[in-house]
Amino acid sequence: MGKIKIHPDQKYIEGLAANNSAIIQEIYKKFVPKVVFYIKNNSGDQDHAQDVVQEIMILLFNQAKNKTLELTCPFDAYFFLLCKRKWLNELKKTSNKGVTIHEDVGSINECGVELVEQTEQFNEKQQLFDAMFLKLGDKCQELLKLSFTIKSMEEVAEKLNVTYGYVRKKKSLCIGQLTQWIQENNNFKSLKNN
Amino acid sequence: MNEERYITFDQYLQDEMTVEEKNSFEKQLAEDPEFAAEFETFKNVHLQLETKFGYEQEREAFKENLIKVSDKHFNKPKVIALKPWYYGAAAAAVILMGLFFYNYSQKPSFEDFNHPESAYFTERGNVEATLKQAETAFNSKEYKKAIPLFESILKENHTPEIQYFYGVSLLQDNQIIKAQNVFNQLKSGTSVYKDKATWNLALVKLKQKNYNACREILLTIPEDYEDYVEVQILLRELE
Repeated sequence: MGKIKIHPDQKYIEGLAANNSAIIQEIYKKFVPKVVFYIKNNSGDQDHAQDVVQEIMILLFNQAKNKTLELTCPFDAYFFLLCKRKWLNELKKTSNKGVTIHEDVGSINECGVELVEQTEQFNEKQQLFDAMFLKLGDKCQELLKLSFTIKSMEEVAEKLNVTYGYVRKKKSLCIGQLTQWIQENNNFKSLKNN
Repeated sequence: MNEERYITFDQYLQDEMTVEEKNSFEKQLAEDPEFAAEFETFKNVHLQLETKFGYEQEREAFKENLIKVSDKHFNKPKVIALKPWYYGAAAAAVILMGLFFYNYSQKPSFEDFNHPESAYFTERGNVEATLKQAETAFNSKEYKKAIPLFESILKENHTPEIQYFYGVSLLQDNQIIKAQNVFNQLKSGTSVYKDKATWNLALVKLKQKNYNACREILLTIPEDYEDYVEVQILLRELE
């Protein structure tokens, strides 16, 4: 693997992770108008644009917090492409008639495509994970939630009125259950793809 | 489910193994791809859980902040209308329109758009007595008292920041010509107070009920001005 060169626009990603209002405002001022223009030109209105942008911003926050988002291209192209693809997906979902897409050629940027795909995969993974988590029993859900919010397992044990040894073991097994399901899902997917 | 395995994974991640246990664990990782793949997934699940719950509060704070910025950006009337008197004004306008059956519109007033911000000069290091006095006077809206204080500070320390607050004080104290001079100077400069000064020049015109001049000045304010929403609202009301 080669050394990845981080683009200076990484400051936007870090700003989002830090909930920096100035950075959020800057993103809206600099990059959002283009998204609004595109969505309005492609069967949407201002409210659609606002929703798409908000969802993408939350997704970026999550990925940034996960420390898996490293910008190697300008934020502009990356952000626009993410919003655009999100909107086109929404369109596909809601309309069964053909939609004419008005492309502006200037917005296609190869460097952004790969990053956008990574972010979309991250999103899929997160959604899959959330769905799996909800399949767990109530006890597991509660224990995991506490373990990762409080962090001290002694306190978790106290709170649940059980022994330290029990919460430790149970935590491993609950994570194990999720691991197993995700493994199975991955195997299923690769079978399907072969 | 391979319970023992998951317990070992957790022990390894929490760094609770003896040196021998650790070595044998790492040996197995290197030699058994199935074991390694499962450990990788386990680690991922761990990370996902950390992201999901560890940042819950931060995520909520982010969402709240995001919605604020977003609504401001998209100029949602709901946010502007938060002040209860707006509803009253809107209702009154509707009634008037109904009564007189013509498009009644009221010109905006200076008071509606006059919200001088607070000054914070003295949080940075050395506290100068006069500066502190000026700040206190300004923030408690005692502009008559603040003006001479700003004048004496400006003799020694002619910064755009002090100039700006001096200008605002003059405007509040109805010393229109002097205020205009100060804002015009700032407007032709390059400081961060440039756009704010232009906004205040528009307010001067609004105060004088010179709506056309007010509009013209507003149109020169660039869109990236931090309070551009206010500019847009005033422009709309001037129409």
